[in-house]
Amino acid sequence: MFVVLEAFKAIKEKHLEAKRILDEATAEAEKIKQDATQRGTSVYEEAYRATLSQAEQKAIEIKRKTVKVAERDLEKFLSQAEDQAKEIEVKAEKNFQQAVNAVLNTILH
Amino acid sequence: MESTRAITEVILQEAKKSAEHIIQEAQKSAEVMLEKQRQLGVQRANESARLLLKKAESEAELTKLNSIANAKIKANWVILSKKETWIDHVVNEAKKELKILTQSKKYRPILEKLITEAGVIVGGKELEVLLNEQDSALPLKLGNLAKEISEKTGFKTKLRLSKEKPKVIGGAIVRTTNGKVVMDNTFDDILRRREKEIQYKIAKILFK
Repeated sequence: MFVVLEAFKAIKEKHLEAKRILDEATAEAEKIKQDATQRGTSVYEEAYRATLSQAEQKAIEIKRKTVKVAERDLEKFLSQAEDQAKEIEVKAEKNFQQAVNAVLNTILH
Repeated sequence: MESTRAITEVILQEAKKSAEHIIQEAQKSAEVMLEKQRQLGVQRANESARLLLKKAESEAELTKLNSIANAKIKANWVILSKKETWIDHVVNEAKKELKILTQSKKYRPILEKLITEAGVIVGGKELEVLLNEQDSALPLKLGNLAKEISEKTGFKTKLRLSKEKPKVIGGAIVRTTNGKVVMDNTFDDILRRREKEIQYKIAKILFK
């Protein structure tokens, strides 16, 4: 009889220990979840910032490329204009006296 | 006693296993939750990023269009200013040649024609002629010119030289003696009056 009682006592003690272990694990699990919840906001913000920062860099790159294209366009148009101006120069030198005569004719006749 | 120990060991082992499982599940759940938050952050940022990039692209397009328009304006300005310079050269050269003409024998009949034309335009009668210093000294036959004006207008006309001497290249100003009707037939005024027509003619010849 004494042996049986001792056995029950030992089992009960182990049950209590088992419960304590489970309670501790549950508490730790709860803490893990709470920590995660708290970290969740910063993880969200970090991901948001990182993604947006990439987009901002991309936007800056788009604008930078556009400025470069614009500069090339300006150079191209100005170079074409310089060429045209040279052609004008050649034609004007060739036809200069004829144009002067036309002015004189307009005034005198 | 042995069996009791075995039972208690099992109880403890089971409890430890369960505890481990509870913690592992909590960790998994935390990781899933954090991953969801991360994805949510990326997703929300992507929405803002899409708008940001769209805005950047449309601003860039606008900048590009503005820049092309400005480049074309600058290019046109280069060409136009070159043409304008040449047109001015021609006009200045024409003025020089007119000045030379006023010192030649060919000039007197031209001046007389300009006086007659102006006299007819103002309608004849009592008229005065304004000439520059140099032309005032020319031996003009104003009587003959007055006669010609009379014939063309049908009014008896008298022409006299004014003491007023305008500073002009050449040509004449004719006005009624009361000063009410004036016809400026100087080279300078003809050039001014017909400026657009002259510039058009010059451009047509000069840049063909």
